[in-house]
Amino acid sequence: MLLSVAALILIVPSLLDALYLRVFISSVIFTIAATGTAVLYARLGLVSLAQVALVGVGGWVTLRMWHATGLPFEVNMLAGAIISGVVGMLIGLPALRMRGLFLALITLMGAAGFQILVTGTQFPNGGDGVLGIAVTSIFMPRPLLGESDEAMLRYVCVVAVLCFLLVEFNRRTRPGRAWALIRKSEACAMASGVNVAFYKAWGFALAGFIAGIAGALLAGTLGVLDATTFPASESILLFALTVVGGAYHWLGLVLTGLLFRAAPAVLNDIGVNGHLAYVIFGAGLLHALITAPTGIAGQILDGLTQLAKRRAGR
Amino acid sequence: MMTYTRFVGPAVACLALTLSGTAFAQQKLYGLNTGKAASGQPILVGSVVGKTGPDDFSAGALAAKAYFDCVNSNGGINGRPIQFLIEDDQWKPEVAGQVASKLVKDRGVVALVGNGSFVEMTVNAKLYEQENVAVVASACAVRECFEAKNIASTNQGPVPSNIAAVQWAIEKLGTKKVACIGLNIPSNGVWSCNLTNEWLKEKGLSGVSVLMNPGAPDANSALLEAVASGADTFLMSLPAGLAQAFLKAGQDQNLRDKYKWVAPTPLYKQGIPESIGAYWGDKVHVAIELTKWDGAGPDGKRWLAVMDKYGAKSDPRDTFSQAGFVSANIFVDALLKMDPKKIDRANVTKALKAVKNYRTDLLCGPWYFGDADFHQPNHASMIVTITKTGFKSETGCFDPSGKYFDKIRAMEKAQKLTGS
Amino acid sequence: MYGVFLVAGLALGAIYALSGVGLVVLYRSTGVLNIAYGAIGAMGAMLAWQLEQMQYPEPVAWVAALLAATLLSLAYGRLVAPYLSYREPVVKAVATLGFALMILGTANYFWVEAPRRLYLFTDAMGFEVLDVRITGTRALVLIATLATTFGIAIFLKHTRIGLLMQALANKRELSSVLGVPVIRIETYAWLISGVLAGFTGLMFGDLVRPNPGALTFLVIPAIAAAIVGRLESLPMTLAGGLIIGVVESMSTLIKPIAPYRSIAPFVVAAILLLWLQRNRKLTFSGHD
Repeated sequence: MLLSVAALILIVPSLLDALYLRVFISSVIFTIAATGTAVLYARLGLVSLAQVALVGVGGWVTLRMWHATGLPFEVNMLAGAIISGVVGMLIGLPALRMRGLFLALITLMGAAGFQILVTGTQFPNGGDGVLGIAVTSIFMPRPLLGESDEAMLRYVCVVAVLCFLLVEFNRRTRPGRAWALIRKSEACAMASGVNVAFYKAWGFALAGFIAGIAGALLAGTLGVLDATTFPASESILLFALTVVGGAYHWLGLVLTGLLFRAAPAVLNDIGVNGHLAYVIFGAGLLHALITAPTGIAGQILDGLTQLAKRRAGR
Repeated sequence: MMTYTRFVGPAVACLALTLSGTAFAQQKLYGLNTGKAASGQPILVGSVVGKTGPDDFSAGALAAKAYFDCVNSNGGINGRPIQFLIEDDQWKPEVAGQVASKLVKDRGVVALVGNGSFVEMTVNAKLYEQENVAVVASACAVRECFEAKNIASTNQGPVPSNIAAVQWAIEKLGTKKVACIGLNIPSNGVWSCNLTNEWLKEKGLSGVSVLMNPGAPDANSALLEAVASGADTFLMSLPAGLAQAFLKAGQDQNLRDKYKWVAPTPLYKQGIPESIGAYWGDKVHVAIELTKWDGAGPDGKRWLAVMDKYGAKSDPRDTFSQAGFVSANIFVDALLKMDPKKIDRANVTKALKAVKNYRTDLLCGPWYFGDADFHQPNHASMIVTITKTGFKSETGCFDPSGKYFDKIRAMEKAQKLTGS
Repeated sequence: MYGVFLVAGLALGAIYALSGVGLVVLYRSTGVLNIAYGAIGAMGAMLAWQLEQMQYPEPVAWVAALLAATLLSLAYGRLVAPYLSYREPVVKAVATLGFALMILGTANYFWVEAPRRLYLFTDAMGFEVLDVRITGTRALVLIATLATTFGIAIFLKHTRIGLLMQALANKRELSSVLGVPVIRIETYAWLISGVLAGFTGLMFGDLVRPNPGALTFLVIPAIAAAIVGRLESLPMTLAGGLIIGVVESMSTLIKPIAPYRSIAPFVVAAILLLWLQRNRKLTFSGHD
């Protein structure tokens, strides 16, 4: 499994042209972001509509760190991820007392608030002061291992795999067991001695941390960020596509990233208005909610299992 | 000293075709204007514009396209047609990077012509330099566009245009304090309003910036902020659509006579006087970056004729369309002087960078590309007033005063870019 | 000078409030927080703009806007919502998001983001109060909001359908056992909410700008107003919307926070939500 993924990461980037290198870099970055959304949705049954805003937080911190210290990209990325994790946890704190609709609304308010804040302050681009705004943008350099677009695509893929593994590790250890209980019933979880508040907060922190990584990678790819990338509407769309793609399996998250960034670009490239994709996204979301809770990935995987069974039966 | 010799082959041919029967048809024409379509190997040229977003900035590229179509059906570039690829950056930095990569790396365009955007140049200036591709833009709005090695524009950008409008308002309207209403994009609104405010300070006056969210621009809200700033003059450093919304908000509050209203070039667009309505007649003053479109000059007439014949009816006729036409002319004239077999990116970039002292009646002054880190070839403006039915000239061409422009004029003189 | 800000704030707040009221009426009787509310209004407003561009008389544009919004709302309410009627509120809300995306994609296909202006006859009317000019549209928004809120409140209290709606709001399954015609009552709720969505879309299109994206995501501050009313109380939603609008507008005068003033709805709503939940310790699925 890991070997074939490694082979893909090695080969595919060298086959792509410049446009699709860029498009796939973005897609993979948002696959990473969707991984965070999926932790909350698939493991805890919580709806977070602030994930793209948290990506923005991670990007902001990464840029600010680099302009202030000039440390290597990976250090700044880690700082961005940690701060974004903390912010994610703060947004999630109300989750200790709320769930369902009201929690989703709190995160939506958070995303909308972030959009306005960051539109006012903009992203650091080499200036003085806390906000670090200069009139002429200084670009943050790419990470050493990702200087060309081709290398950068490999770089983000490797980071994506690491993020999948981090989530998988959490799922298979203590937090994962706690989440499973909490999802069933909080009272049960508490009765079995699970610290409900802590593990819920842990879920939000993990989702935020992963969003921060995505933000850092986005900043690392472009060198500067712009507030128009992080409106609340994008957070909503990313959540919707996470459900459409399938939140329960890594394949679904890869699909989410592709739907989010590659589908509009492909349509644009062949001269079709990219907005039409939204109609399909919307229908896909309704379909997923009504009949296919595991998303496209779930349906693909089910299909494969059926096929395998039929073959074995023959 | 070398001055630029204009080639008038397809240019005049295009004119002769569109105005056949007029005096122009009898002009002596060069070999290429056979009226036959070019059929050789196409020359790929690209353009990145901000079309979908808070405002449509594609007028320059559309004018360039009209002109290229005209050239193509009249012999092309020594037999080779221009294939023009326009990409929409959707006002999104990520998309801007993607489409520029597509044009420059995948399609291998020899140059970009008619670019107009609020985000594209910031993201892509470095790519253009690395890939050694030259950009003759026509609707630059951000700082990087004027401070990049490989980009030169035929429009002025917001800084000279803002300052020209303000300078005139001080002289003629008695302006004391200016609210500069711009978009909150660091390299656009923040930059141009800051420089305008600095210029005002240099003159002993004051200015404040009022910045609108480019993602969700709300004119009412911006108007309120401008009113709260205590300024006596509102400088609408905005694309045309947003400036109109701002004026509508002003009309709703009936603030016309309480403030003075000036704007840089985007409001100079056909249909604006009718669209903002008689209420604003003689009250809004616009600094225009190119000359008036009803000017008597031959290039001005040629622009309108080409647009009528080769452009769509819906293509805007505005400053940016003029600028796109000039950009396309500069490009075609430069290519016609080259050996058609040797038209590749390196040679085209070299040829474009060598352009200096290019004169056309669509521009107030001579244009040059130059091999500097800083390009602001177009910096002289005219002022017009929007009347109930059209535009009325207030001034001829003038170059604003101040340190910002002294620096440019000194550089032009030292490098002998303007022929004087 | 303060008058200008107050009037602008009240007009903006009235739009928030009216959208909030439309959301609350629907949520109370169907349990659906309709995130597609803004998109439904957007479709109406864009149609109105299109018809104006095609030189149709203005009443045609008005009728088309309201009709389109109502039909869209009813279509979802009758065709899609029943599939989800026994799911958690958050799933119902997320599903309307799918509907919102479908409408937004369609609207964006026909009307790409571009500068436009929508003219209504009320723009030309206007009067001055204390040196502040109030346009007919602003006055209309304010009056309509007050009238609708109180009208609906009376309707809910004093008509049979209104009472049945109240019953549904409390216990859906119980009501249906008791013989309340659930589907019919819900249809009324989708109808009222659709008309309100069309009207607010039209007003917002006139006062801010008729663009599908902007109008669709107007639903976010509207939700903030509805949250102030805890998704239940009409008078609280009205007050919430108006307060948010005025706070947002008045903040313009305070220099350091002026650029951030549109954050007002979210701050108000978030604080309120946290305050309302202050005494809860545990949460159980199915309860919100």
